[in-house]
Amino acid sequence: MDRPRRRRKRARGPCQDGRGRGIVAAMLRLDAILGLATDDAMRERLHALGHRGAVETVRLERSDMRRRRLRATTDRGTDCAIALPRDARLEDGAVLSIGEDRAIVVRAAGERWLPLRPRDAAAALELGYHAGNLHWRVRFRDGLLEVALEGPERAYLDRLAAFLDDGRARRVE
Amino acid sequence: MNAAENGTTHPGAARVGIGGPVGSGKTALVEQLIPRFARRGTGLAVITNDLVTEEDAERLRRGGLIDPDRVVAVEAGACPHTVIREDPTLNLDAADMLDMRFGPLDLILLESGGDNLASTFSLELVDYWMFVIDVAGGGDIPRKRGPGVLLSDLLVVNKADLAPHVGVDLERMVAEAREVRGGKPVVVTNCRTGEAVGTVVEHIVHGVLFDG
Ligand SMILES: Nc1nc2c(ncn2[C@@H]2O[C@H](COP(=O)(O)OP(=O)(O)OP(=O)(O)O)[C@@H](O)[C@H]2O)c(=O)[nH]1
Ligand SMILES: [Mg+2]
Repeated sequence: MDRPRRRRKRARGPCQDGRGRGIVAAMLRLDAILGLATDDAMRERLHALGHRGAVETVRLERSDMRRRRLRATTDRGTDCAIALPRDARLEDGAVLSIGEDRAIVVRAAGERWLPLRPRDAAAALELGYHAGNLHWRVRFRDGLLEVALEGPERAYLDRLAAFLDDGRARRVE
Repeated sequence: MNAAENGTTHPGAARVGIGGPVGSGKTALVEQLIPRFARRGTGLAVITNDLVTEEDAERLRRGGLIDPDRVVAVEAGACPHTVIREDPTLNLDAADMLDMRFGPLDLILLESGGDNLASTFSLELVDYWMFVIDVAGGGDIPRKRGPGVLLSDLLVVNKADLAPHVGVDLERMVAEAREVRGGKPVVVTNCRTGEAVGTVVEHIVHGVLFDG
């Protein structure tokens, strides 16, 4: 489809090939997921580039993997402007760029969980209700309720102060 | 290689959410943003979420700052956070419609219906979201660590002009906001005069428009 207005704008924008031109650090635009690092074809090319130290990683928090547009920096300091189609979905190993002398691959940071042990059945009911009320994502393991952390742990502990203070719940390792 | 060249679908407009408590100045911020984006050539549309009326949408349409057709109202019913988080279908449909009808657009602003400090946006719906609180709402709001204050990409502390009138130590309020947000940005605005709204524009440009 012809989109003259946008074309013109992009041409005026910062240098798009990722190499420095002038004093402003170059921003690399990434518009598509080209494949997964585990795809056969990708694996070979990434392997070859890896030998030359030419595979850069964008590490993203789990919660940021749901975004379609974001600004992120690779482990080599390349400034990336990611703008994916709305139906695209980032996943661990998504290849956003691959060329002769560089590839860019997304890696999902491990999910962080806050493990809580309720004192007894009554406390467990209350804790479960409280977590649901706050729309927290949880999982259950060996009598623990674990909360997925999407921000600083401190913020979650603050919300649990009443439970932690009177011993209805305990943070465990 | 951009989307048009490599044959994939156009990524569509960047979608930016504006949430925050009732009356904090969300619509006032939108009114200040519209002419600033217009001036820099950003193709813009707006979605408002009101409870049962189209009050905010009507206000923007009447304002004469934007083509009234580019302002769409989604009725949020009694639960304004549901339509931006648990089930954003209505807002997604509205955004898709705007993309289709006025595309290629650069930016869609989505004002949430006024809610409490707990409201957050689904990242299925928006690429970036701001939370607007105001000085008159109380200097202790950041200390309460509501999810909106903690998790938003940009925290806007509005009505800076009211600080002396309501006995709020603005500097302290902002310092506490920065502390609980762990380094994520905070901007102090006056949406009646437009003070520091340019900084909000810069954050949006840097975060999701990429044409700065
Ligand atoms: N003094 C002062 N008043 C402001 C400022 N920003 C907004 N207001 C006023 O605050 C009131 C509420 O502003 P709105 O923009 O309607 O707030 P809102 O967040 O959109 O409200 P809802 O959509 O109902 O939740 C209006 O009377 C505005 O004129 C500001 O920076 N300073
Ligand atoms: Mg409003």
